Amino acid sequence: MLEIDSLTIRAGDRLLVDDLSLTLQAGQLTCLIGPSGCGKSSVVKWLAGVLADELRVKGRAGLDGAPLVPPHARIAYQPQQDTLFPWLTILENASLGLEVRSARKAAAHDRLRSMFPVFGLQGHEDSFPDQLSGGMRQRAAFLRTMVQDAGLLLLDEPFSALDAVTRLRMQDWLVARLDENPRAVLMVTHDLFEATQIADRVLVMAAAPGRITADLPITTPRRDRTEANLAETRSRLKSMLLKDTE
Amino acid sequence: MVFVRHILPPTILAALFLGGWEGYVAASGASPLILPAPSDVMNGIMVERAQIARHAAATIRVAAIGFGLSVAFAFLVSVALHFAGWLRRGVMPLLIASQTVPIVALAPLMVLWFGFGLLPKVLLVILVTFFPMVVSLTAGYATLPRAFRDQLVSMGAGGWTVFRRATLPSARGHFFAGLRISATYAIVATIFSEYAGARQGLGIYILTAKNNFRADLVLSAVFVSALLTLGLLGLIQILDRATGRRYRRQTHA
Repeated sequence: MLEIDSLTIRAGDRLLVDDLSLTLQAGQLTCLIGPSGCGKSSVVKWLAGVLADELRVKGRAGLDGAPLVPPHARIAYQPQQDTLFPWLTILENASLGLEVRSARKAAAHDRLRSMFPVFGLQGHEDSFPDQLSGGMRQRAAFLRTMVQDAGLLLLDEPFSALDAVTRLRMQDWLVARLDENPRAVLMVTHDLFEATQIADRVLVMAAAPGRITADLPITTPRRDRTEANLAETRSRLKSMLLKDTE
Repeated sequence: MVFVRHILPPTILAALFLGGWEGYVAASGASPLILPAPSDVMNGIMVERAQIARHAAATIRVAAIGFGLSVAFAFLVSVALHFAGWLRRGVMPLLIASQTVPIVALAPLMVLWFGFGLLPKVLLVILVTFFPMVVSLTAGYATLPRAFRDQLVSMGAGGWTVFRRATLPSARGHFFAGLRISATYAIVATIFSEYAGARQGLGIYILTAKNNFRADLVLSAVFVSALLTLGLLGLIQILDRATGRRYRRQTHA
């Protein structure tokens, strides 16, 4: 559904991303994995339409055959940092995307209220973000992203700020939400454990300049993804990442 | 114990200061023409209350009009500077340089240009209080986290939507800080403008009392003008509390 054709991003003389092309399938969760500074966030930010102005970009993208000019209503973006606005309640925060895209506030709130139980946020509609735990805040951020009805979700290290246990729980939780309501997901992470646990496909990026060095489908069904079954895939990925950063 | 920790210490110090002053005047036999005791000052306020109230009302009027216009004007200018980068780069250095001018010293010039009416006084209040407001607002706008902006832009928000939904709310704390600084200047600036020339107002009352060697009445008016500033700060505090329960979370979060 999404195609990127020879994307090049430069910061001055420095090449951040070099001639990157990729295609994403509808309903697939793709993890973009690579060392810090390999440009994986830049790719996602470009697709979201929020790349810093001073970066120079060449390349094209298409969404379902039509040229893509980001930001696009069918693409929802969740930045790395927690961007729940502290002065808005959880309900108001979650409704932000719908309201900006010109939905009526009352209609947006009605629709969101019915989704709060599924996201484990029932009873916190009128709470403020600082009253919630890290995991709950993250679920609220997902609610805001997912309610936008976009066919493609861009997630920039969504679990990086969570503690290890919450992180594991949230990974399973995200997969369950996507099973209920499948969309294409492009998720940036630097955690190969996380990538192999939840992804349908892992793209490995190398740094300086950023480029895709491997494209690895994870065919093991999710219920069978035990340490033992994934050991071989993980060790392959690990050696690729280590080789690239030498 | 808010009372013991925060209210008791300044109350004790103030009482000691006033008591020491009263005692010194009584013991030294200083002339009330030079140094009136606090009790003389309070007595002055009681005796002259009708006069002082009339002049204070004039001062309040000038300060309110000037301060109100200044805040509105500062807000409009700050929005313009926010959206026009070249304007900001051009105006801000000049605005900062302009602060080296002792603005209250312009008061006589204002009278020379605009006479003894409302205009020169209001202008002086605006000149004095405008700058802290603009600087606070501009600094407040700059505190918007980049990720907040990105989040809205990715949702399809334009510049004005980002400003209204994120930039402006995140500048709220700075706005009130600027408002408090400007408020303390507002009454001072008004009194200064009345020194330079006025028919009514605490400034001219102080000047007249001084010319009559009534140090007690000078201090009475000074006391009342301090009360006016405190009152203004109190109003701002009430406004802040009443409108911003949700915004105070920013600082705790």
